[in-house]
Amino acid sequence: MSDESVAPTPAPAIPAEGASPMEVLPRGLRRVPHGLDELATEHLILNMGPQHPSTHGVLHVLLELDGEEVQAAEASVGYLHRGIEKLAESRKYHQVGTLLDRADYLSGFHTETAFALTVEKLGEIEVPEKASWIRSLLMELNRIASHVVWIGTFGMDAGAMAPFLYMMRDREALLDILESISGGRMMFNYVRPGGVFDDLPAGVDDKIRTWLATFGTYLDEWDALLGGNEIFQIRLKNVGVISAETALAFGLTGASLRGSGVDFDVRRAAPYCAYPELDFEVPLGERGDCWNRYVIRVGEMRQAARMIRQLVDGMPEGEFKAKMPRVYKAPAGEAYASVESPRGELGVHLISDGGPTPYRMRLRAPSYYNLSIIDEALAGGLIADAVVIMASLDIVLGEIDR
Amino acid sequence: MPASTGAEVLRAAGVSCEGADTTLGAVLLLSADHIVEAVAALNEAGYDQFIDLFGTDTGQAVEVTYHLRALNKLEDVYLKCHVPYDGELRSVWAVYPAALYPEREVAELLGLSLSGHPNPKRLLTTDGTPPLLRKSVAIRTAEEVQYS
Repeated sequence: MSDESVAPTPAPAIPAEGASPMEVLPRGLRRVPHGLDELATEHLILNMGPQHPSTHGVLHVLLELDGEEVQAAEASVGYLHRGIEKLAESRKYHQVGTLLDRADYLSGFHTETAFALTVEKLGEIEVPEKASWIRSLLMELNRIASHVVWIGTFGMDAGAMAPFLYMMRDREALLDILESISGGRMMFNYVRPGGVFDDLPAGVDDKIRTWLATFGTYLDEWDALLGGNEIFQIRLKNVGVISAETALAFGLTGASLRGSGVDFDVRRAAPYCAYPELDFEVPLGERGDCWNRYVIRVGEMRQAARMIRQLVDGMPEGEFKAKMPRVYKAPAGEAYASVESPRGELGVHLISDGGPTPYRMRLRAPSYYNLSIIDEALAGGLIADAVVIMASLDIVLGEIDR
Repeated sequence: MPASTGAEVLRAAGVSCEGADTTLGAVLLLSADHIVEAVAALNEAGYDQFIDLFGTDTGQAVEVTYHLRALNKLEDVYLKCHVPYDGELRSVWAVYPAALYPEREVAELLGLSLSGHPNPKRLLTTDGTPPLLRKSVAIRTAEEVQYS
């Protein structure tokens, strides 16, 4: 087959918008050259997620962008919705713990304890002193384990990869301790209404003391590695400033609220477990920027280590659980109790009709409210800062979606 | 705070309510029509922290609970109102922006409609999901019961 007879067709003329019409184009040109000074721009909707390595779960954020600047942000949640509140209505009181571990899976002891405290408040159950001390000990250990994950992923969000590896290494030693006590690394199911499931294993106090001896050094090392880095500081200081008024308006609690200078900590405001007998400080911020929230959480880890030392040294002797019937029936009524989880006020509101299962269990998850501020906090900032600001709020999607 | 003090705050704002001191604390029971005014009056009276909002299926209607706190006095108050199953929940977001998420959740999980909300979408579940927290929605599906 030959096709030499076919002449190449010239490229069609492209009409140029805005250019003066010319009937005859210069030889060799397809159109009249013109500038691009009237470039139309428009806002872009950027889908961040649903997969992002450090959002602690599955979060989808829609960002409306004008160039680099965030105009609006909306969180699309629910990817981890398992119906924990609904399922609790079919579980007996001692079975609810398995569900609660899966709400905030980085600090299971706090959610379990909040539920146990609510049941005990409703049923007027007297908890042995040792059980309260064990709970406080576990909650503070868990607070450090949770903050360690946060500080590592926070560094990753700001572009620092290496610290995460150090923190995961050191967290492992802590999870070993939690495992030796409860049998689980993250899904503990150890705190039950009336006390705790079992006594502390023999020798765990020495294990904790050994860990404590090195933890202070490790913490200083991380803090120097990350917080001492000037680039990291510049990324955080005066970024994501949340005023005390705004923080309160959106129901923020925990370090995110204290970063804005509001002195509220459930351990102080409504002491529970062994906290009335412990000596500790509550770090406070002033400006409400990401740096303040970072400094507070690092300070909280130091305070937690201080409390753990007191708790191990002063651990009372005695029973670790109250006498409870095999199937407990809470009296009809309502109660609310809360704990200071690593993320803020974690409350459980319980409604009982006198039956063997809760009639309604509501989990007041701190991350749920901490997340609701993102539109207010991200708008007007840069897209690179959006990641840092969200990370500084320390949200766990498991308890948001429930 | 005793419930009588809270009831007085509401009465001054022209909202009638029934106050009771229960195991929960001070509970004020009022009509759902006046919830926005009542919440605004308590905010004005120093209840600056919004703790929680959730709904419960009582078997006759949806009971919506508002949990507020005065941060400087550390006093909690609970407001409760009943909304019929096909009723409408008035948004209090203009007083407490923290209510934006839980109101959406109450509306979708208990099958109410929202009014006065700037973004009355579903929050946790996809379109077509039944109101899961209604007692009429079974915890297990028929298939699960069969194979369990």
